[in-house]
Amino acid sequence: MSREHSPVFRLVDLRKVYGQGDAAVHALRGVDLEIAEGELLVLLGPSGSGKSTLLNVLGGLDRPTGGSCFFRDIDLASAADADVTQYRRQHVGFVFQFYNLIASLTAQENVELVTEVAPEPMPASEALELVGLGKRLHHFPAQLSGGEQQRVAIARAIAKRPTVLLCDEPTGALDVATGVHVLEAIVTANDKLRTTTLLITHNADIARIGDRVVRFADGHIRSIDPNAQRIPPAELSW
Amino acid sequence: MRLATLDRKLLRDLKRLRTQAIAVSSVLACGVALFVMATGMYDSLERSRDTYYDSARMADVAVSVVRAPDPVANDLAELPGVNALEARVSGIGLLDLAGKSDPVSARLVSLPADRHPRVNDVLLRAGRWPDPTRDNEVLINEAFAEANYLAPGAQLRALIYGRYRMLDVVGIASSPEFVFAVAPGAMLPEPERFGVVWMGREALGRAFNVDGAFNDVVFRLAPGADARETIFAIDTRLARHGGRGAYARDRMLSAQFLADELSSLRTMASILPPIFLLVAVFLLNVSLSRLVATERSNIGLLKSFGYGNVSIAIHYAKFAIVFALLGAALGVLVGRYLGGYMAAIYTKIYRIPNLAFDAKLHVYVWAVAVSLFAALLGAAQAVMRAVRLPPAAALAPPAPVSFGRLGQGIENAARNLDGKTRMVARRIARFPRRSATTVVGIMLALALLITSQHFPISMNHIVDVTFGVAQRMDATLTFAETADDRILAEVGRLPGVVSVEPLRAAEVVLTAGSRKRRDTLMGLTEGAYLYRLLDQNMDAVDVRPDGITLSQNLANKLGVRVGDVVSVQATDGHRARADLTVVAVVKPYLAGAAYMELDAFSRALREPGRVSAAYVLMDHNARDALNREVKETPMIAGVSFLDNASASMRKMLNEGSGFFAYMFVVFSCLMAGGVAYSAARVTFAEQERDLATLRVLGFSRREVSYVLLAEIGALLLIALPAGAVLGALLSRWLMAQFQTELFTFPYITQASAYGRSALFVAAAVIGAALAVRRGVDRLDLVGVLKSRE
Repeated sequence: MSREHSPVFRLVDLRKVYGQGDAAVHALRGVDLEIAEGELLVLLGPSGSGKSTLLNVLGGLDRPTGGSCFFRDIDLASAADADVTQYRRQHVGFVFQFYNLIASLTAQENVELVTEVAPEPMPASEALELVGLGKRLHHFPAQLSGGEQQRVAIARAIAKRPTVLLCDEPTGALDVATGVHVLEAIVTANDKLRTTTLLITHNADIARIGDRVVRFADGHIRSIDPNAQRIPPAELSW
Repeated sequence: MRLATLDRKLLRDLKRLRTQAIAVSSVLACGVALFVMATGMYDSLERSRDTYYDSARMADVAVSVVRAPDPVANDLAELPGVNALEARVSGIGLLDLAGKSDPVSARLVSLPADRHPRVNDVLLRAGRWPDPTRDNEVLINEAFAEANYLAPGAQLRALIYGRYRMLDVVGIASSPEFVFAVAPGAMLPEPERFGVVWMGREALGRAFNVDGAFNDVVFRLAPGADARETIFAIDTRLARHGGRGAYARDRMLSAQFLADELSSLRTMASILPPIFLLVAVFLLNVSLSRLVATERSNIGLLKSFGYGNVSIAIHYAKFAIVFALLGAALGVLVGRYLGGYMAAIYTKIYRIPNLAFDAKLHVYVWAVAVSLFAALLGAAQAVMRAVRLPPAAALAPPAPVSFGRLGQGIENAARNLDGKTRMVARRIARFPRRSATTVVGIMLALALLITSQHFPISMNHIVDVTFGVAQRMDATLTFAETADDRILAEVGRLPGVVSVEPLRAAEVVLTAGSRKRRDTLMGLTEGAYLYRLLDQNMDAVDVRPDGITLSQNLANKLGVRVGDVVSVQATDGHRARADLTVVAVVKPYLAGAAYMELDAFSRALREPGRVSAAYVLMDHNARDALNREVKETPMIAGVSFLDNASASMRKMLNEGSGFFAYMFVVFSCLMAGGVAYSAARVTFAEQERDLATLRVLGFSRREVSYVLLAEIGALLLIALPAGAVLGALLSRWLMAQFQTELFTFPYITQASAYGRSALFVAAAVIGAALAVRRGVDRLDLVGVLKSRE
């Protein structure tokens, strides 16, 4: 299934080196990639292959050491610090393996933290409804299960109607049934909000929910394979 | 030697925690420094004083007498309890110093011809001993010599008993009797205008017209002798020679001042260090609890490897021990430095030979022990937590901190807050003890700072009130002996004198029930304008003819109140006795006494029409003319000008307080900064993940810093008003603690002191918080988010 082709991200010979000299680690060795608006891209690859580094660079958490990384017409490689912060604030939603909720705020308040500063957010309750937590608005993180916490994190990420949603192993710490709930929330956001979504996973089975699957090895893209058909998460089994 | 692995871990952890170690150790060091300074100085001063008193045979009892023939001294020596005595001639004279208009008064004391005095020895500091064959050779006291740039070889023109004579200064000396040399009627030393002159017994006897007799005796008592019995025996023996009542050291002004100073030092040593140590205990508790929380999995690992509870307890206790030793070492160094400075101030005020700051080993041992105790006390809870942690639970990640809603009322109020502010509010409420620790620490720092500013304010107030509201004369003329009140008319005719008011002062013994006090009774005219008694509202209280007015201090000592009757007996003259009703109690700041209306006083003591001094109001342009005239008037033994007295008092009070006020600013800011730094550090460590999350979510550094700083800021806002109230209470209390026989420190509210203190403390807190805030700039967004808690 193909969507209209207006790239959100355009990466040209993107490189990232940590350290110097003998100790240098080449995390990205020249990545070229275009990502279309509304696309759901799954990144696969062994640990240390560069997928997380790519996600961090796309999210404005890390700076590349070479090449360019355009979000629309902003080059994230050379943008000012304050501009990158603004970029994160307006366009990016993050979901991490460890949920990183603020323990002192309720589910709803965690989401509101973002909606308060976003230009055109959806109501926090609506975002939580979208991830199936409409009844747990006033619970503190310590009162929620792991899957619920991750779904709050997703609600927090999508509530501002981000342009891109970046998910780094969002199901890594969860069991299958819970993981399916979380993936459903991500797919729902992608479908309903047309949010360009990148999802890192170790699990090749999960790759079937995406439009394209990008396989990483040793800092390179080894292959890019479009899925003929996106599979709904409920049909996955791993 | 190879360090045990745990100790290597300790060293590396300490390196990581070094800023926190510095914060905690600094606060500990402040407490230790104050302890070392005050205790060391107390010991040094007491030791120097006792050594001096001992080696120079300071008198235990003294008495003055109108005139007793020399052989009476032999009788006195036989009295029970008397170990040694020196029968002397002593009196007041005027000195005319070149280039000095204001007259200088001097206490003249006789020296035995062929030996040192047996009591109140005189120590030669420069020059030589007077030649007994030369009448005009004298020694002068060190403070007077220094203040007036006099050295052996100088000449003094002295008016003694109505006759001028030239005196040759041959030596400079000191004596335990005049460690603190104060002119009669004055409260504080004015070495520029008061000196002690020692001259040969024969010559001085002739000068004062007491040839073959003495008018002053000083005694050393036998060890274990009962001073009261001996005093009674002396008074009985001297009654027929005009004895003026013997008294012990507690009525000798010089000794009294030293005793006062020692008691202030003791108060300081017992009150101030504990405040700092208490704050250090809290700080250690917070820091080490946080350390144990972050080391949770390490503790689990160590236990699973088979490390016992004792090794684990010792490992974490070692952090506290290192903090304590660091604080103690720093505190001892600073305390020694401050002690040395204090000793230098003391040597300017108190003339005690070999007075130096010399704290003995026990002071340092105590300092280290107290520091260790405080540190271990602070660490105890955290160490116990490490010990009690079951290994399996320690290896599992900690349950997320469970937050709850604040009280419904607060939640409603917080509804309008943004998320970041709500985070701050809930954290403060979630960790109430830690929040309270921060608040209390900042409060104490502010309170200390306010209190420290209070001393100079209080002292200046004393001077302002005493020499402005209470005493309004320009000069006080003291007569050589009580004079007929016709002398007042002569005083009125002196150049420039505009108005004159009399004073009659006498040493009396006041008795109420079983309590007895020797003090001064002052007779003043009703409606006196130049010397007034004040009540607490600064309103004048008139002396009354129908009874006696007491100072609060004296009333307390006698245990009497308004309406009670005290019996008053003069120590000389007719030794008249009278029962008087207490009609008022007043609170003078300086050395209170007893007061009566002048005529009633004369009737009670059966000495009508006598005066001891005159207060005058005068034309300032005539000061030189008045001085010239006074120097030629034998009946006037001394003149003291109010402006001189007030200036020298201010100088003495400010001598020490300037430096110590500065020291307190530094110490209080260290305390406030240390508290704020530790609190901000812990908050940062606990919230690092949340802060990084906020950054990832697109919040700017400024917004994220707000979450960190608002917590400290909110606590600061709570602490400032609370600290101001505590400061007011602490000042009031401390002023009362430092009250002595001679001084009462009033509590004065001065808004600027509060404002200034709050500003300093707030600056220290904000500085510390901003130092921690720099961590926000260095947040490792990726690293923090990828790691489990």
